Order: sequence, then structure tokens, then C-alpha cells
Amino acid sequence: MLSRCCFGSLVLAAAMVMSLTGAQAHDESKYPDWAGQWRRPPGVNNQWDPTKPRGKEGAPLTPEFQAIFEANLKDQEEGGQGTDPTYMCIPDGMPRAMNVIFPMEIIITPNTTYIHIEYLMMFRRIYTDGRKFPEDTDTSFMGYSIGQWADTDGDGRFDELLVETRFLKSPRAYDSSGIPLHPDGKTIVKERFYQDKDKPDVLHDEVTTIDSALTRPWTIVKNYNRVRNPIWVEAICSENNDHIKLGNETYMRSADGLIMPAKKGQRPPDLRYFNTTDAKK
Amino acid sequence: MRYRSPIGSRARVAAPLAALLLTIAGAHAFDETKYPDLKGQWDRTAAPRWLDAKSAPFTPEYRAIFEENLKDQAAGGQGTDPTFTCLAPGMPRVMNMYAPFEIVVTPRTTHMLMDHIHDSRRIFTDGRDWPKEIQPSFSGYSIGKWIDEDGDGRYDVLVVETRGLQGPRAYDSTGMPFHSDNETVINERIYLDNADKNTLYDEITVTDHALTKPWTAVKKYVRKPDKQPVWREAVCAENNPHVVIADEPYMLSADGFLMPAKKDQAPPDLKYFPQSRK
Repeated sequence: MLSRCCFGSLVLAAAMVMSLTGAQAHDESKYPDWAGQWRRPPGVNNQWDPTKPRGKEGAPLTPEFQAIFEANLKDQEEGGQGTDPTYMCIPDGMPRAMNVIFPMEIIITPNTTYIHIEYLMMFRRIYTDGRKFPEDTDTSFMGYSIGQWADTDGDGRFDELLVETRFLKSPRAYDSSGIPLHPDGKTIVKERFYQDKDKPDVLHDEVTTIDSALTRPWTIVKNYNRVRNPIWVEAICSENNDHIKLGNETYMRSADGLIMPAKKGQRPPDLRYFNTTDAKK
Repeated sequence: MRYRSPIGSRARVAAPLAALLLTIAGAHAFDETKYPDLKGQWDRTAAPRWLDAKSAPFTPEYRAIFEENLKDQAAGGQGTDPTFTCLAPGMPRVMNMYAPFEIVVTPRTTHMLMDHIHDSRRIFTDGRDWPKEIQPSFSGYSIGKWIDEDGDGRYDVLVVETRGLQGPRAYDSTGMPFHSDNETVINERIYLDNADKNTLYDEITVTDHALTKPWTAVKKYVRKPDKQPVWREAVCAENNPHVVIADEPYMLSADGFLMPAKKDQAPPDLKYFPQSRK
């Protein structure tokens, strides 16, 4: 049994350490190790529900929005972009960003968890400082996210991050098939992030979308694989973007840089504001 | 006579125990006290411009390119400023700070997060060497090292070098150009003002073949006082009225039609539209 002297010294030492380290240290051991680069699994493309083929994901859309979606598919088949707004480098927004078309990094700090996706300017701040949602704030494509860490197995270490995102801006779609979200700005996205119990280099994001274009909440699970010593490759949407949008018409840019039709029979752009009809050659 | 240490017996036991506990705790704790407090929202203190172009030590060749660029801009063009179609500003231009930014310090990387085009940066502080090959990017590849200059046990300067840059880039909207060989090297010293911990400096030295000598600018940022700052999303592509067709810049009118950017500018060639050939 420790003597009073040594026991007291142990308590003193522990107190010294706690006051030195606990007050200013971010105790990484309290949080899961989500460092590194996370990528969507091979074979999963630009699709919301990774278990279903793109365009056939069975989104529980209302009849009105199912009709919008069908018209969008027809437009895409004819060379248009339908209800997918991102071809002009509008951000994917939430929840689409979690398709993780380009790799993501998760940076955990005590008050905020950052999700940095290597495309456009898609990064998310998930506030874990205990704040409540503001009464009113600017809407954005990535939304306003509040999160809470949970220790579901009681081992003293957080293992799940529960997130709710509101204040989303339009237009947004779930993926490149153009499954539309309602433009009323009332989308709520709820997520449960957790590591695979058997494979620590697999991360899951159970995403539930509540939206006025749906008949019910729509839940899918996204999966990501980790790369431990990653190379980060910059992806700049507007570099070599071949889409040209003039008003409500979308055209393409030819290999020689000229404007060309995106659809069969598409009329040329109206050049009413040009003084001369002599085109630049 | 046996010497008695002025440190009491309990402290003599406590000290090694504390060291042991610190080792255990330190292995899992990120000791923020070792780093300067860079949390919060930082904003620029001046217009997002580099330095006066008159002071730029351009080579004669690049001085001429810059002057031509100014003429083109005066006529309604974009000159050598490539960002009007939402191309990333790249380094060092992002440090003009087009939107408020945040610095997140972690043991292996310092992140600069900026809500603008694609301006965010990773500065690797994990002791890595330069890779043999770097995929060029607008932001470049940055390696940093924390320095404790005043020897108080706390880092106070982040020294950074950035290589692996891609073009085209300019220093700011005046179009001051970088050499087309993209062999720019950027060295930075980032530090808080000793007298005011809410002021941050970034001393940026550019070495580039468009210059006759390295060129240094000092950027100053201030920390906003809000504990929960508002972060505004800035989407360049949203409502961007610039259109480029066959390397010619045009504009989009308020009613969505293509219009000239310059006086008497010819319309684009519509040869790919069968209707226009009638």
C-alpha cells in the first residue's frame, strides 16, 4: 500500500499535470481518429444512393417533383443540364457535397469539426460548441451545421458525430441525375458519422434529408475509404469548363474555343447588343 | 553534513511522477499552449491589392507585358488578370484575403480556410521533405516550420515555403503577372504582433523570373472580436457576368444576353450553328 507521502505526491503530480495539460490541451484521445484523406469507394460515381444505379435511386419525391425530375432527365438526354445546377461551378451544397466526388479531410477541434472537400470551395463548419441554431441567418449552399459528439459504447471516447444542417440555399440537386430539392429553403439534413467497427479506415455517414419535395424523410448511407498519407490534388471547376450559360440557355465550348450548340437544333445566341454582325474570326 | 535539497520530499516524488503523467497525457493531447492563439475570424485591413506596381522589380519584358495588360483593361478587357472566370487566385494572391479567413492549427498541418473561389491552403508542418515531383496547383505546395524566436517555450513564427505553382496567376486585379514558367517560390513569415495579439502579419517574399530580385510585401490582418463570427459563403460562379469565347472576354447583360466587353467588339463566330450560316 502506498504510504501517505507517496500517495499524496501522486495526487499532487496528477493535479499538476491536469492543470497544465487539461486546461489548454485538445485531448485528441477523446475523439475518433478521422485524420487522413477520405474517398468514395471505387465504383461509386456521382450518385446519391450508392446502392442504386444513378437516376434510378427511387427518391420518394412528391408527384410534382417527380414530374420535374422526369422532365430534367429528358432535358439531359437531349444535351441539356436539367435540374443539375453545378455545371456552371455552383457548389454541390448539402447534402450533395457528401457524395465526395473529390476527396475530403475531416479536421476535429473542440469547438468545430471542419469537413474540407477538395472541390470548388466546399468546406463545412460543424459547430460543436453547444450553440443553438440562430433565429435567422444567411442561407448558403453548404448550410449552417451544428453537431454533437456521442460516446455510444461508453468507453470514454466519442465515436459518433450527430449533425443537423439548416439554412440551405437553392438551387440544389442530390447528384448529377438532377434529383431536385425544393427551392423553399426548408431542407433539413441530419447525419450520423461513425467509423466502421471492423474496418477503422472506413467511415459511414448516414444522411437523412427532410425536404418539401419528398413525401417522407429519405435516408441513405454514404461510405468512405481512408488514405493515410494522401496527395491532395487541386480541382478547379472553372478551369477547362466547357459550358457556357447565356440567360436560360446553355451552350458548349468547342475544342477550338467557339460557342456551339449543346442540343440538336439549338438556336444560336441572340447578338442584339453587338453593333456589328461581322464575327471575330 | 548531508546536503538537504531545498525541494521538499513530496515534491521530489511528485516531479518524476508529473513527468511520467505528462508523457502519457502529451502523447494524446495537442498542446495548444505551444502555439500562438490564431483562432477566430481574421480580416484584411486594406483593399485586396498587392503593392503599387511602380515598385514591382519587373524585368523589362514583364514590365511591357504588364503595361499591355493595363491598356487592355482600360479598353474593357481583363488583361493578365485570369480570375474573372473564377479561376483560383492562387498563391500569393490569396493572401490579399478576399474574404475573412480562419486558421486552424493542428500538429501536422496548419489550415488556412478562406470562403472564396478555391483559396484555402494546407501548410504541412509534419517535418516532411519536398516531394520529388509536385503536381502544380494554384495554391502550390506549402511546407512550414514553427519557430520559437524569443525562446519562451512557445512558438511565435510560422515560416513557410511554397513551390509547385501553376499559372496563370497575377498578384491582384491590376494584372501584375508572374513568369509563365511558374517557377515562383514564395517564402512567408507569419506572426502575431507582440503588442497586439489581435493583429497578424504575413511577410511574403516572392522569388520569380519575372522579377529582377525577390519582392517582399507585408500583409496585415486583424482578428474580429465576435466569439461566434458569421461566415458568409461567397460563390464566384453565382451571377458571374463574364463569359470567354475563343479567348475573347465578353459580358452577360442584365437580361441574359451576350454583349461586348469592349467598344466595337466583334461578336463571336457562330459557325457551329447551322442557322447562322443561312
